[in-house]
Amino acid sequence: MLEGAEFYFNVDHGYLEGLVRGCKASLLTQQDYINLVQCETLEDVKIHLQTTDYGNFLANQTNPLTVSKIDTEMRKKLCREFEYFRNHSLEPLSTFFTYMTCSYMIDNVILLMNGALQKKPVKEILVKCHPLGRFTEMEAVNIAETPSDLFKAILVETPLAPFFQDCMSENTFDELNIELLRNKLYKSYLEAFYKFCKNHGDVTAEIMCPILEFEADRRAFIITLNSFGTELSKDDRETLYPTCGKLYPEGLRLLAQAEDFDQMRRVADHYGVYKPLFEAVGDGSGGKTLEDVFYEREVQMNVLAFNRQFHYGVFYAYTKLKEQEMRNIVWIAECISQRHRTKINSYIPIL
Amino acid sequence: MGSLFRSETMCLAQLFLQSGTAYECLSALGEKGLVQFRDLNQNVSSFQRKFVGEVKRCEELERILAYLVQEINRADIPLPEGETSPPAPPLKQVLEMQEQLQKLEVELREVTKNKEKLRKNLLELIEYTHMLRVTKTFVKRNVEFEPTYEEFPPLENDSLLDYSCMQRLGAKLGFVSGLINQGKVEAFEKMLWRVCKGYTIVTYAELDEPLEDPETGEVIKWYVFLISFWGEQIGHKVKKICDCYHCHVYPYPNTAEERKEIQEGLNTRIQDLYTVLHKTEDYLRQVLCKAAESVYSHVIQVKKMKAIYHMLNMCSFDVTNKCLIAEVWCPEADLHDLRRALQEGSRESGATIPSFMNTIPTKETPPTLIRTNKFTEGFQNIVDAYGVGSYREVNPALFTIVTFPFLFAVMFGDFGHGFVMFLFALLLVLNENHPRLNQSQEILRMFFNGRYILLLMGLFSVYTGLIYNDCFSKSVNLFGSGWNVSAMYSSGHAPAERGKVVLWNDTIVRRSRVLQLDPSVPGVFQGPYPFGIDPIWNLATNRLTFLNSFKMKMSVILGIIHMTFGVILGIFNHLHFRKKFNIYLVSVPELLFMLCIFGYLIFMIIYKWLVYSAETSRVAPSILIEFINMFLFPASETNGLYSGQEHVQRLLLAVTALSVPVLFLGKPLFLLWLHNGRSCFGVSRSGYTLIRKESEEEVSLLGSQDIEEGNNQMEDGCREMTCEEFNFGEILMTQVIHSIEYCLGCISNTASYLRLWALSLAHAQLSDVLWTMLVRVGLRVDTTYGVLLLLPVIALFAVLTIFILLIMEGLSAFLHAIRLHWVEFQNKFYVGAGTKFVPFSFRLLSSKFSDDMA
Repeated sequence: MLEGAEFYFNVDHGYLEGLVRGCKASLLTQQDYINLVQCETLEDVKIHLQTTDYGNFLANQTNPLTVSKIDTEMRKKLCREFEYFRNHSLEPLSTFFTYMTCSYMIDNVILLMNGALQKKPVKEILVKCHPLGRFTEMEAVNIAETPSDLFKAILVETPLAPFFQDCMSENTFDELNIELLRNKLYKSYLEAFYKFCKNHGDVTAEIMCPILEFEADRRAFIITLNSFGTELSKDDRETLYPTCGKLYPEGLRLLAQAEDFDQMRRVADHYGVYKPLFEAVGDGSGGKTLEDVFYEREVQMNVLAFNRQFHYGVFYAYTKLKEQEMRNIVWIAECISQRHRTKINSYIPIL
Repeated sequence: MGSLFRSETMCLAQLFLQSGTAYECLSALGEKGLVQFRDLNQNVSSFQRKFVGEVKRCEELERILAYLVQEINRADIPLPEGETSPPAPPLKQVLEMQEQLQKLEVELREVTKNKEKLRKNLLELIEYTHMLRVTKTFVKRNVEFEPTYEEFPPLENDSLLDYSCMQRLGAKLGFVSGLINQGKVEAFEKMLWRVCKGYTIVTYAELDEPLEDPETGEVIKWYVFLISFWGEQIGHKVKKICDCYHCHVYPYPNTAEERKEIQEGLNTRIQDLYTVLHKTEDYLRQVLCKAAESVYSHVIQVKKMKAIYHMLNMCSFDVTNKCLIAEVWCPEADLHDLRRALQEGSRESGATIPSFMNTIPTKETPPTLIRTNKFTEGFQNIVDAYGVGSYREVNPALFTIVTFPFLFAVMFGDFGHGFVMFLFALLLVLNENHPRLNQSQEILRMFFNGRYILLLMGLFSVYTGLIYNDCFSKSVNLFGSGWNVSAMYSSGHAPAERGKVVLWNDTIVRRSRVLQLDPSVPGVFQGPYPFGIDPIWNLATNRLTFLNSFKMKMSVILGIIHMTFGVILGIFNHLHFRKKFNIYLVSVPELLFMLCIFGYLIFMIIYKWLVYSAETSRVAPSILIEFINMFLFPASETNGLYSGQEHVQRLLLAVTALSVPVLFLGKPLFLLWLHNGRSCFGVSRSGYTLIRKESEEEVSLLGSQDIEEGNNQMEDGCREMTCEEFNFGEILMTQVIHSIEYCLGCISNTASYLRLWALSLAHAQLSDVLWTMLVRVGLRVDTTYGVLLLLPVIALFAVLTIFILLIMEGLSAFLHAIRLHWVEFQNKFYVGAGTKFVPFSFRLLSSKFSDDMA
């Protein structure tokens, strides 16, 4: 891209940017959350959501209302919006959108393969798949028995294909393998997405790169955390870390050596960005979990993305914020339906 | 004065509704649409209110009704829309209705489910027969080759099926056949090839007729395919891939007899299914037809019910929980009707204790209600678009009815164009009850709503067009021009007169391109044209100069009259709100300021028109110079308009100069003096009792004004005093800002009225251009071809006239007229800070089906 892209950004993407900013303005506010928390039943939640931008999206649902129904309808709504953006987008924004869907596609593939491993019918799992990551070949993944099979037969024509180069192996699938496959795919996906944004330059790179760096580092931390006490070797672990984050390369090497949470925390202490996050994590009872802290940080970065104009990051940020909002609503709805009100306030507000 | 002059007086009433009869009372009120409810539970969130359950029930009913309407629409059964709207259902009937609807819904869902199932079955069977028919042709070709096979294996067999051969080779051969969506064929084939590594053979053929998809009901093109494969393993994979691409797979018959058998069986089953489906559809139709009869009234009834419960949610319960208390705004004129409606409601429900109401005094500002009819509605909308009038304020809409079309017409002055516009508006007005116009959309709707404005605009344009003597840019000579050309010839005059003036003779007429008529020559000017501009100006080369001078002066005169009128209306406001001091300290200085400067300008214009004639025109002074000199006090070199002019002008200037400080400081100082005078009430100042009495009155009035503005701080005397002290700076600031705005505004607003001149000039010039460029060209061609040419020329002229001159120019004149009203006229007196009175009325509910589908 040439310098001064803002001069002609609006020619191609102005409409969509305006649209996405309008959508962002309709995210639930703090007041909405306060009202939602006061709800007694799911019916109340429904009534309250009617007054927000969700409108009567639950109107055609027959009683009784369940959390999963709310979740599905919300996902459908997000998906409708996303499809609209995508159908109206031009290059290179449409490639950007494709990259955005890839993460959901990876999740879906892994979900289906796990299901196949447990001999569950495909139909049952399809319902659980995220609608944003749907693609036609998806249902056939259970034919494959090894990752290279999977690549050659099924996914070679999907956008996921380029991410497979690191994980071609002839091992048959078991649970660990699938998990490894997911992380490897994710690693190459994040790196590719990062490269795409970097090459695009301009404000998009300025906004998206920090977000993706954070995403990569978060994955590295979470992988480390989850690998404590498993048979995963340290070298294997290191191959799973996405290398586009701020931790690369020293931080990742240190992380690969970490053996418990405290060592991990020590690694994070070297980085000004992550130190406060780890400090915010409470120990054991009552405090926030590491995951929540990361989510909060993510929300913060995504909200800040809206402060700049003429870049693609707003679409990414909007989708992520909407996802967070859906997680919040589902959390609140779960708390209400299970009468478990003590933890109802631990949703992550979108500022 | 009429109700259009000021908004109606409102009062706050408390309704005591017995809990048994509240519903019926509100139903009666809703039918009449008399009152606006106030929300008494503002801090209760929407799902914690009293009647939330009932509202939910209404929503459930709405959901069922929406489903019914959707089904009825799908079956193409016409939905009758009732003429009259049924009243809200009595509570006893609600349960019945709900049961009835729920039963209907269950039945309908059952039947449609069955129908869908049957239909899907049928479609699948049809697909199966198609598949069998098509795959037969694949095999038939194969059979033909069979005899020759053993000696010479034909090469073509690669792509065809020769299972017998493979069976002979000992491999297990399997078939999968079915239908696949047209768009997926390519990807499907590719994946098959990749997964099975070429150990399959796929044959497919397109179906000639598109079939309905049993899942989605879409009509699409299909392909029939037949896959033959070797081995069990691959078979599983193939089946999975078929699942993945949502193929419809059907068992493939291995032998010809089997195929025949299946086909026969299928045919009979399809026949059966057809009859069953037919019967089901008939039954469904019956059910839907029955439902369609009552669905309209049900929709309306449920809407009304929901509205009633929403209103009841705004009421509060009294201590004993026996009756609901509602607070409503009601126009005083309608109080009687309100009582009657309450009685009716109580009687209907057969309650022993009637519901009743009483009015309560209030300090809050009531909402503004101005009753309009179809004629005044459009004009009121123009005013409301600027801001809904404050309670009991002078409503400019009354005057807008005349001034708006008039100012528009000044800019749009053309007899012909005005008449076309008038005819269009007349057409709309005469057909206003036509249903298609009533339901028209977007732009036509806009014209339709403003039809009376258009009508008046057209009429006034005809009038100003006559004054300007413009009809499609041509003048009309109705009365005969007042100018006589022949009198200019020297032959007609006595020799004595010839010396004094320049007269024409043959050589002058032949040689000069431009001739000048001199009105001072006797007989040339025989007196003014009886109405409007003399048509002879249309021929004159200095026509523009003449018209410009006329139109410019006219727009200044109109503008100043319009603005002065606005200031005078302000006096009515002050009188009504009993703030007399505002008249002396604000309105009068404003009027003096305006009239002493600009009123005097008008005087000079008119004086000059009247006093100077053709003979004396050479010595007439320029108004512009005179007006500038009025401020500059030059050494008196000019002779002026009249004797003693200098003294008059000095006096006027002095008045103007004096009124400015009064305008700036008068009101704040007066208020301060009132405040101080009251605070030193105890000090002996016996001489001023009278004034003090008066001032006390003023203060109490002032207090009431404060109350009207919603400051409920009157109870605490101490706080009130500090509050007023604090306010002085604020009052001073507001008044200074207002005064600066007014004084500068007088000048800029007067200049702004010059747009009247500019737009009317632009309009006249544009229509003139259109005439010269088109019609005149057409008329110049000689007669034989001219006829042929004139037809398209006239057509083009008509189209351009309508689109450019009528619509575009009309729109621009309309916008400028709106601006003149909103900015120049209304800011002289109109506050427009009120809220509109929105009565609880069922009539405001939409009675369309389309709305509940959205």
